[in-house]
Amino acid sequence: MLKIEHLKKHYDNFSLDCSLELMSGCVTGLIGQNGAGKSTTFKAILGLISTDGGNITILGKDRKDFTAKDKEELGVVLSDSGFSGYLKIKDIILILQNMYSKFDKSLFIEQVQKFQLPMNKQIKEFSTGMKAKLKVLVAISHNAKLLILDEPTAGLDVIARDELLEMLREFLEKDEERSILISSHISSDLESLCDDLYMIHDGKIILHEDTDVLLSDYALLKVDAEQYSKLDKQFILRSKKETYGYSCLTNQKQYYMENYPKIAIEKGTIDEVITMMIRGTEQ
Amino acid sequence: MKGLFVKDLKLMMLQKNFLLLILAIVIGMMIFTDDVIFPLGFLSFIGSLFTVSTVSYDDFDNGNAFLFTLPITRNQYVSEKYFLGLLLECMAWVLATVLGIITTVLKDTLPITDLVQSSLMILPIMIVVQAIMLPFQLKFGGDKGRIAMIGAFGGLAVITLVIVKGAEAIFNIDLVSLLDNLPTVSMGVLIAIAIIIALLMLLVSMKISLSIMNKKEF
Repeated sequence: MLKIEHLKKHYDNFSLDCSLELMSGCVTGLIGQNGAGKSTTFKAILGLISTDGGNITILGKDRKDFTAKDKEELGVVLSDSGFSGYLKIKDIILILQNMYSKFDKSLFIEQVQKFQLPMNKQIKEFSTGMKAKLKVLVAISHNAKLLILDEPTAGLDVIARDELLEMLREFLEKDEERSILISSHISSDLESLCDDLYMIHDGKIILHEDTDVLLSDYALLKVDAEQYSKLDKQFILRSKKETYGYSCLTNQKQYYMENYPKIAIEKGTIDEVITMMIRGTEQ
Repeated sequence: MKGLFVKDLKLMMLQKNFLLLILAIVIGMMIFTDDVIFPLGFLSFIGSLFTVSTVSYDDFDNGNAFLFTLPITRNQYVSEKYFLGLLLECMAWVLATVLGIITTVLKDTLPITDLVQSSLMILPIMIVVQAIMLPFQLKFGGDKGRIAMIGAFGGLAVITLVIVKGAEAIFNIDLVSLLDNLPTVSMGVLIAIAIIIALLMLLVSMKISLSIMNKKEF
């Protein structure tokens, strides 16, 4: 579906060097702090910025050979951009009808009504939640094969986020080949939706793991100084000094549970894994 | 491309009251003053202004980034703006000329040939204005674009003045009276040449705009 190899982009105080792959039928999450390089990666995939190196293959085609017609297969949400705020939903319907050959007008109108979005109001008057829902609706309403969603849930409350994720699940259910690349800094969104996750920090991918593995095999070991000195560190990815001793991130929870039954072991959450990967020191 | 037209049409409809107001002013001026040429020119330039305003609307709130994820290319975007500009200008110009002719006939102020000649003279100027405005607007966006445009027109006025005054001072040729005293036939040729030059300038301007848009990062 999508393959990025050593995509490079240099700014004055930021350098991106990112590789990732999205398989057909999968939902892949890109997670990282603000300014880690998520949006830059998305914009490079979409051809909105020039790149300084690397390859991007999208739906089997090199990025440079991707035509306007090919773009019909993409559904895009950008965190900081959308249809002009002066337009109304009824205008957007007309525009989409004339832009996409496979625009599903009845589905779009049905969803607009379901979410009680006003047809006759300028988008700039919409609430944050309404704007976010509209953006996702536009992305899923023209039978796209690949969705590229940059922070689609940013600024939303729990209920609105849930509704939005439900929309995406419904979209996926309709066709096995549909895939999504999604970024967020709200890890619970990704936890429930993504098959695998890439963590990006300072423009580099620091971790790639299946979500299931991340949730089942990753753990935080909380040890005092003495336990730490005796600890077998071959499966410790990162460790960090704490007031009580050390916290250590492992991707082999079972090994430590069996061999160190007295150590406090906490199930790894995505947030904790990110924090440790970024703040902890490498073994 | 059709989608882009629909979008621009919808954006321009936002200003329909403004358009009606201008139309009312123009008709008022034609009826109540003896000068038909000024309102005629004034209305003709509305086409360019409306096209440029759609560029600002696209740019509003970083909207361009999303726009270019839709199934369009940057080249199509630029071509559409130029085509739209020309189309609107021609429509405004035809409307202005027809209004001008009706008023002139009713009031019997000017010979029709004089009016048509003046109206035709506006055509190349109108095209040149569009050729200047669009690249500036695409390069600098809404606010900075306006300032840059004022600078550009100021510069153009200074250049024209320098040429006219220069010709007078160095070669002792009075370009203004020369233009005034041209016989109608050569005036027609002059206008035809001016239109061709204006269209060539528009082509160059479009090439510049294409290069501006293809280099832009969103």
